[in-house]
Amino acid sequence: MPVWSMRLQRSALIHLVMGATLGAWLLAAGSTGLTLPYDRLMAAHGELLLVGWLLQFTMGVAYWMLPKHAAGDSRGPAGPIAAAWLLLNGGVLLAVVGQTIDGATGIVAAGRLAEAGALAAFAANAWPRIKPFGAGR
Amino acid sequence: MPTLTRWFLRLGLLYLLAGLTVGVGMAFRVEWMPLRPVYLHLLLVGWITQLIFGVAHWMFPRASREQPRGREARGWTILGLLNAGLLLRVLVEPFAPDAGGGWLLALSGALQLGAALLFAIHIWPRTAAR
Repeated sequence: MPVWSMRLQRSALIHLVMGATLGAWLLAAGSTGLTLPYDRLMAAHGELLLVGWLLQFTMGVAYWMLPKHAAGDSRGPAGPIAAAWLLLNGGVLLAVVGQTIDGATGIVAAGRLAEAGALAAFAANAWPRIKPFGAGR
Repeated sequence: MPTLTRWFLRLGLLYLLAGLTVGVGMAFRVEWMPLRPVYLHLLLVGWITQLIFGVAHWMFPRASREQPRGREARGWTILGLLNAGLLLRVLVEPFAPDAGGGWLLALSGALQLGAALLFAIHIWPRTAAR
């Protein structure tokens, strides 16, 4: 398994545990009648699990499994996938922090922009690798 | 395909069917709208996450020569925790959120958290770069 797949998958596993912990805490708090900012914490729970876990784990597997190039870097240059990892994890962190602070829509927007940048960088790596076996470089 | 993966995938397919059924119900009957959290968790935990757990257990690089897929018993524990937690939530959340079901919902969250934590421990060594 390539090192960037390892980084993406291990980061995704950390997000899975963080998201599940937050979800379990929200359910437990509901049973004790504890007052929490549910809407904001639910948004953070969704961000951690949808983007941090599901999306990131899928990206890690795709980087590993998509057809390799026959010449040059077999999985393409490392720059775009490194940028995707950095932007995705930074973006989730910003979005989660922004969602837990009242009125911090600018931080959430910055996080979402970083996530969009991560997906663009990932697509730049994956696009030429979506091809028939033996085709292209 | 390992037996444990077959269980993950077949249970995942059942949750997919259940989730889509609830989704159709929500589209036609406004009384079904409180089932939205159940609908989301059936699809995102029961289907997609369970599919990932099963396929990763099957396809990821070997843990060791002696135990290529790690500790089998831990894999079955993950399956049990995930499905017990999700089923408990699906059964309790729509019908008894205010009728003493709160602690059962808390238990369902703890069971699913246990599954997530154990899966991370289970698959972590198999994501090592080579």
